[in-house]
Amino acid sequence: MLRFIAIRLGRAMITIALVVTFAFIVLRLSGDPAQIILGPEAPPEAVAAFRKAWGLDDPLWLQYFHYFGAIIQGELGRSMRDGRAAIELVAERIPVTLALTLPALAIKIGLGIPAGIYAALHRGSLADRVVMMLSVAGFTIPSFVLGLTLVLIFAVKLGWLPSGGQDSWRHAILPVLTLGIGGAAVLARFTRSAMLEVLGQPFIRTASAKGVPWRDVIVGHALPNAAIPTVTIVGFMIGTLIAGAVVVESVFSWPGVGRLLVVAVANRDLAVVQCILLLVAATMVTSNLVVDFLYGFLDPRLRQNPGKAS
Amino acid sequence: MSDQTLPRTVIDGKAAPRRWPGHDMPLLVRIALLWLVGMVLIALFAPLISPFVYTSPNLRNRLVPPGTFPHIFGTDELGRDVLSRLLISIRISLLIAFGASIISAVLGTTLGFLAAYFRGIVEQVVLMLADFQASMPFLILALSVLAFFGNSLVLLIGLMGLFGWERYARISRGLAISASAQGYASACRQLGASPMRVYLRHILPNIASTLIVSMTLVFPEVILLESGLSFLGLGVQPPMTSLGNMVGYGREYITRAPWIMLAPALTIVSTTLAVSVLGDWLRDKLDPTLR
Repeated sequence: MLRFIAIRLGRAMITIALVVTFAFIVLRLSGDPAQIILGPEAPPEAVAAFRKAWGLDDPLWLQYFHYFGAIIQGELGRSMRDGRAAIELVAERIPVTLALTLPALAIKIGLGIPAGIYAALHRGSLADRVVMMLSVAGFTIPSFVLGLTLVLIFAVKLGWLPSGGQDSWRHAILPVLTLGIGGAAVLARFTRSAMLEVLGQPFIRTASAKGVPWRDVIVGHALPNAAIPTVTIVGFMIGTLIAGAVVVESVFSWPGVGRLLVVAVANRDLAVVQCILLLVAATMVTSNLVVDFLYGFLDPRLRQNPGKAS
Repeated sequence: MSDQTLPRTVIDGKAAPRRWPGHDMPLLVRIALLWLVGMVLIALFAPLISPFVYTSPNLRNRLVPPGTFPHIFGTDELGRDVLSRLLISIRISLLIAFGASIISAVLGTTLGFLAAYFRGIVEQVVLMLADFQASMPFLILALSVLAFFGNSLVLLIGLMGLFGWERYARISRGLAISASAQGYASACRQLGASPMRVYLRHILPNIASTLIVSMTLVFPEVILLESGLSFLGLGVQPPMTSLGNMVGYGREYITRAPWIMLAPALTIVSTTLAVSVLGDWLRDKLDPTLR
């Protein structure tokens, strides 16, 4: 078990290191950071001072080393626009985004998983076809089209709900629905195929042949085994809680992390972009770690032989 | 999607005359194929068939509703013809999607082959990069690259070309490893064929069907990604236009002129749906192992 944890932690570290490297390379490739941060009209003395202060005249490997060190110490730079620490700007947007993504996650899980299980257990039935059709639709309809369609119906035509903004809980309904419906469709499709795969296994036949009631076969044998692939995709969804609403936040003018990212990209506010990138990487890695440990919990085989897991 | 795998010719018991391989295509797949052929034709001939110049404004004809001659699909906030803009948008969006899919397939397959040929450290590095790519939301990576580099059509296609490479890499690595253990690959090697020749002339054609099927899975996602970026105003830049871009600008007029965004939105949905339907059918047909 210790080996299992060590391997997983090592992988997580490598992923974070890769993201930091990615940010470093992209930042250096995009031109002189001094010029970008100070602007094209900066006097040459200021540029020189900046280069000296940030060690831009050092050899590249040394710069990389310093960059890495600064990030480990939480030094993520300041926003170009108002000079506040990038991490502070991002941190105050996180709860705003979570107000959308957490209820949406509840909808995805509460709707998607039962629908997928039901469809798999009634394969070929009308309900199965409807679930499959909706899940294909959920995959092919982009979230901004779904969101705008909901706006057109519920805000423009019916006038029941506001079309954008963040003034009351009623403003959250449409964005949460947009996020939830799309995700539920994807999850239903995954759960269905995971269930179907498990239901075709010999141990299911054995269990029902030895007289276990069908209900107990499902609850005791099929569901735990189908849980593993489903947990993977739920883990991915948890990893995108912070940055998974970029498009939907823009559709509904919801001032969350995603909106901040889009504005920062449009203004080339690099410190903020980099901070969000690292934050997203950290959440993804953490949720992957949790998923990996859950695997170990759900499937004893992986604890015994961690090399086989992946 | 269908559960029948027995070819009908076997059931008939007759020696089947040589027929078009798609002769048993379900109706839905035929419609999907027809739609895609139409889209490609539109993409090729868009500047010839569009009734107006897509950028030319006409301030006396702003926000004309659809169904009015000569603007069949109506006009937008600057009086530009929506149909003409739609046709050009289809051209740009498909250009990006095709370009990106080809780049990502070539890149992924090459890396997968390299991993399969060298094994050892090269393989580990490729797999690690693939894990990394799969674990990060691509939209965020793409947005950060755009923030650092600014935007151009070439950069956008190249960036989208990084999307999904890890799937081709994983598939081609796995298939190439098992293929090179088979008789035909070692026969070629014994005859003195170079590794390049073995991989490109012998192994690649044998695993191509699986790769093509994965391409039909990646392609709609590329369309969705590009339209998402353009919708945010960070993809294709005006005066050029793309499907996502039209929806993005059209949403400002959602109450007064919903047709500006509805036509491109429907086109996006129908096209991704058509590719998915065709891909599902191809997967059942070509590669039962992927099901």
